[in-house]
Amino acid sequence: MWLELALILIIFLGIIILGNNRLGTMIQLFALQSFILSMTPLLVHPGIHAVIMTAATIILKVLVMPSLLFWAIRHVSIRREVQPLIGYGKTLILGGFFIGAAFFISSKMDLPVKAISNLLVPSAFSIVMIGFLLLVSRFKAITQVIGYLVMENGIFLFALLLLEKTPLLVEMGVLLDIFVAVLIMGIVVNHINEEFESTNTIHLTALRD
Amino acid sequence: MGIQILLHIGIVMILSPLLLGIIGKTKAFFAGRWGPPLLQPYYDIGKLFQKGNVYSITTTWIFQAAPIVCLAVVLVSSFFIPLGGLKAPIQFWGDIILFAYLYGLARFLMMIAALDTGSSFEGMGASREAAFSCLAEVVLFLDFIILALLSKKFVLSEIIEGNILSSWPLFGPVLLLVGASYFLVLLVENARIPIDDPAIHLELTMIHEVMALDHSGWDLAYIYYGGAIKLFVLGGLFVNILIPYHSLSSVMQTVMFSGGMIMLALTIGIVESCMARLRLNRIPLLLISAFVLALVGGIVVLVKGV
Amino acid sequence: MTDYFLSSLVLLSISAVLIVLTSRFQKISGGIFLFSLGTGCVLGLISAVSVLVHRVPIDYRLDFRMPIGEFYVGVDLLSAFFLLTIVMLSLFAGIYGYGYLKDDEKKNLSVHYALYLVLLISLMLVVTAKNAVLFLVAWETMAISSYFLITFDDEKEAVRKAGYLYLIATHTGTFCLWVMFLLMGQQAGSMNFDQMTLASFPLPLAGVLFILGIIGFGVKAGFIPFHIWLPHAHPAAPSHVSAVLSGVMIKMGIYGLMRLILIVKNFPEWCAMVLLMIGMISGVGGVLYALGQHEIKKLLAYHSIENIGIITLGLGIGLWGQIDHNEAVALIGYAGALLHVFNHAIFKGLLFLSAGSVIRSTHTGEIDHLGGLLKKLPWAGHLFLIGSLSICGLPLFNGFISEWLVFRALFDGVFHFETNALVFSSLAIISLALIGGLATACFAKAFGAIFLGNSRSIDNTHLEENSSLMRAPMLVLGGLCLWVGFFPSTMVSFALGAASTIASLKISPMAEEAIISPLLTVVWVLMILVTIITVLVLFKRIAMKFLPIEKAPTWGCGYSMPTNRMQYTASSFAEPILRIFRNVLGFNVTGNKPQGYFPKEEAISSHVIDASEDFIFRPIFQFIKSLSAKLKIIQFGVTQLYLLYIFIFLLILLIWKMV
Repeated sequence: MWLELALILIIFLGIIILGNNRLGTMIQLFALQSFILSMTPLLVHPGIHAVIMTAATIILKVLVMPSLLFWAIRHVSIRREVQPLIGYGKTLILGGFFIGAAFFISSKMDLPVKAISNLLVPSAFSIVMIGFLLLVSRFKAITQVIGYLVMENGIFLFALLLLEKTPLLVEMGVLLDIFVAVLIMGIVVNHINEEFESTNTIHLTALRD
Repeated sequence: MGIQILLHIGIVMILSPLLLGIIGKTKAFFAGRWGPPLLQPYYDIGKLFQKGNVYSITTTWIFQAAPIVCLAVVLVSSFFIPLGGLKAPIQFWGDIILFAYLYGLARFLMMIAALDTGSSFEGMGASREAAFSCLAEVVLFLDFIILALLSKKFVLSEIIEGNILSSWPLFGPVLLLVGASYFLVLLVENARIPIDDPAIHLELTMIHEVMALDHSGWDLAYIYYGGAIKLFVLGGLFVNILIPYHSLSSVMQTVMFSGGMIMLALTIGIVESCMARLRLNRIPLLLISAFVLALVGGIVVLVKGV
Repeated sequence: MTDYFLSSLVLLSISAVLIVLTSRFQKISGGIFLFSLGTGCVLGLISAVSVLVHRVPIDYRLDFRMPIGEFYVGVDLLSAFFLLTIVMLSLFAGIYGYGYLKDDEKKNLSVHYALYLVLLISLMLVVTAKNAVLFLVAWETMAISSYFLITFDDEKEAVRKAGYLYLIATHTGTFCLWVMFLLMGQQAGSMNFDQMTLASFPLPLAGVLFILGIIGFGVKAGFIPFHIWLPHAHPAAPSHVSAVLSGVMIKMGIYGLMRLILIVKNFPEWCAMVLLMIGMISGVGGVLYALGQHEIKKLLAYHSIENIGIITLGLGIGLWGQIDHNEAVALIGYAGALLHVFNHAIFKGLLFLSAGSVIRSTHTGEIDHLGGLLKKLPWAGHLFLIGSLSICGLPLFNGFISEWLVFRALFDGVFHFETNALVFSSLAIISLALIGGLATACFAKAFGAIFLGNSRSIDNTHLEENSSLMRAPMLVLGGLCLWVGFFPSTMVSFALGAASTIASLKISPMAEEAIISPLLTVVWVLMILVTIITVLVLFKRIAMKFLPIEKAPTWGCGYSMPTNRMQYTASSFAEPILRIFRNVLGFNVTGNKPQGYFPKEEAISSHVIDASEDFIFRPIFQFIKSLSAKLKIIQFGVTQLYLLYIFIFLLILLIWKMV
């Protein structure tokens, strides 16, 4: 019950992120989503393993990464996505469609591991798809980072399936990877901005020969 | 039956402006003001009832008919929902459709009454109302489908009474999603912030208010009263969905219901204090999000099986 | 009761001939027209109602054998329901048409009257034919006579083009129908519907028949994307003909599908799915296209597509119920579809007739030029309002009753079906809700812009109300809308009877009662609504005695020089909705916004592109055209060569026969 509530809330927040055009709000929503996400290990397999996971996730995803992103948007002083590749309405409808598809696909999927709730796999899938949608539909580098992070949240949910079996070290490694990735992206975004006076990734096409 | 109906009409007519009063008070509190008295909406409506009417020379009888039909429709629509310990006086298989379409009737008349004045501003309001309400209706029906799926009933009061109770433990998250999307519909239908601001006086940005620009005196009183009752009825439905109180004793039910209504008014007040009005072209987006939320709820119901 | 029906047919045929014979004397032929139309329709009405009340079908065979068929007509419950619809609308539209045209001195009206009767006869034969060949003959007659009726104003190019398009479309459909009936006849060993009903059709064959039926009947019914002829043909015809075309003739497609379901009985599940899909697409598409129209009759024509969509939703859910062996869903779905057929005939007829009155008085159908007509044409205005309220499916009027039935069948589908059907029923409910909302917007726009406010560019002062010969039929149709809205049980019970025939079920009085009784509660609630309205009106009346009433111009929000041209137009009213749906519609805005401090004159116009016309059929037609241009090679114009062709063809046939 609580796990399902958490999963639904995560999807809910995903949809809201999808429909939002303010970067600040998006980051806050992402932090909230990550916070709920970080609670899920405790709900699935309470234990020392889960507590460590939760603590690490909260520190990295709820505190460090959002503040990093906030720093980045303050630095490049942009506040909203002005001209998305796919309009907000269309992304939202596509999002609904993708979520439906995710539920449909996972109902057909045969997993070797028995999921604790029949909503877990479909929600993981949905979040991955929402993140993916963010990645493809927006131009601003920051939004793309957020999309990437949301997608990673989905993958985290997948990992919950295997929480018992994977060694802690692997997951810590994954989290660290992402942290480094975001850090690098933050720097890159900054440099894009300095170079092109905009964080619009479409300008990167100017780099081809 | 007759007495029940009169009781419903009485309660709805007496209590509904109070909801607006609470909202006003909440907003004043957040703005750091003392604000108008709790009973201000009653004074406003009473004041209008004492005034004469000014009619535009362009208008026909439709202009005068619309406020009357609107008020009558919202009164009738209140018969379908239980108010605390009071059961809904009218229940039949398929009353959901009548409930939704009665509002359609009122809306149609309000729109043509706005066009009746020949004013470009009122036409603009009618046009916006038409655009947003047809999206809101879709979300409303999707919510109804999900609730009907959970209860296997096609009667509004039965959908929200018995089966909500048994659904909460199993389908709590789904009901939350439905509640969220219904809340957005509620805001749209009642022209509250962030969709529409009932307090501003800038015609270019208004939706619902602008349709009532030329109404005065009794007509305007009917419209305001109708608006208050509409908020009360749709809000009552919301409270019935979200608070599973239906197995309690009837006194407790009434207490819970009243508490729920006050909470609702406070919530609306807080939302209005915290948010700015959305730009017009963002409103469809809000409704689409409401639709997607309900859609996710529906998918979850299907996946979990009923 | 056979006698009534047959004598009606005979009377109509004889008078059609008489009208042509007396065409020199317009007065006489007009008189014959009115008399025979009235008598014939009343006779038809009696036979239809008696069949529906007693629920006993009647049959009639004539010992007259055509090459592969016979003259075999019968009025079963399904036929009777459609017969009722046909005679009801044709009678009133005919009387109106007489009043509409009688001052037109340039044209030979007798031919028009005769063709109208021929159309009526063929319609009656289509729904009663019990033999496939007779059915197709009647179908063709219907198509041809309606072609001539559409091209009444044949001096206009647009009308000729519309007629031509219609002719092509309807023959494409008829081709599919021939193939369908031949396949059915082969399986059953007879072209009589009775024998066909007894035969059993394997599922794959049923699927093929269904596809052929969908195309063949769908062209006539105006399913999207086969609808392209419809928005051109209906505005081209005179208003009373548009009323019959839109109210009755396109329903023959629905009748055909129902007959097909009745005969074949067992369909694979995807057929119901296809029907629901078509219903959703036609319904939502039709109303969205209608919102984008600025011409009143074109708008109404697109609304016919929308209503066909609603009917198809009922039909689809009924079929799904039948496949799923869920009797209640099947019956209610079919009954909803049937009742909507009747209701749509009544209110769409009413709308076309009152639109016709407007066009006759103002000589224009452009909504954006009109305004304020309610004061000048109160009859047409108020009846148009009744029609609008009905077509939006709002309570108090007949459209609500049939939409309620369709909704109920769909909700029952949600409760009883497996996942697949459940998803489709839910989608159908959502689209039906969307259709309702959009239709309300569309008719608020149409009624508001035409009849309310002030006139935008037409001078209203000299307008006069039309003759009573035109007003009376509209009044009756408006009355029928209210009658079904307030006393639905008669028509619902008729529809249920016909529905039980389609589903080949017996319906018990108990089950019928269970379906009708919520509707009676609806009526009861509506009575309360009316009471409350009366009380509120009384309160206000009394209060107004003591309070001052003033008259003043509309408040211009501080703008000191408002003109009538500043009113919101129909196009601007529809713009926000069309903008929301612009991705599915192809909504174009051309023109520039005024710029600078001293702007030049600028104009903005918007229009909606019909995707299936521009992107599907136009390329196909282009392709066929170029193909036929290539075939011109064999066309020399030398008679000897043509004789040679015939000879060669004979030779080939002979050789083929020998092998």
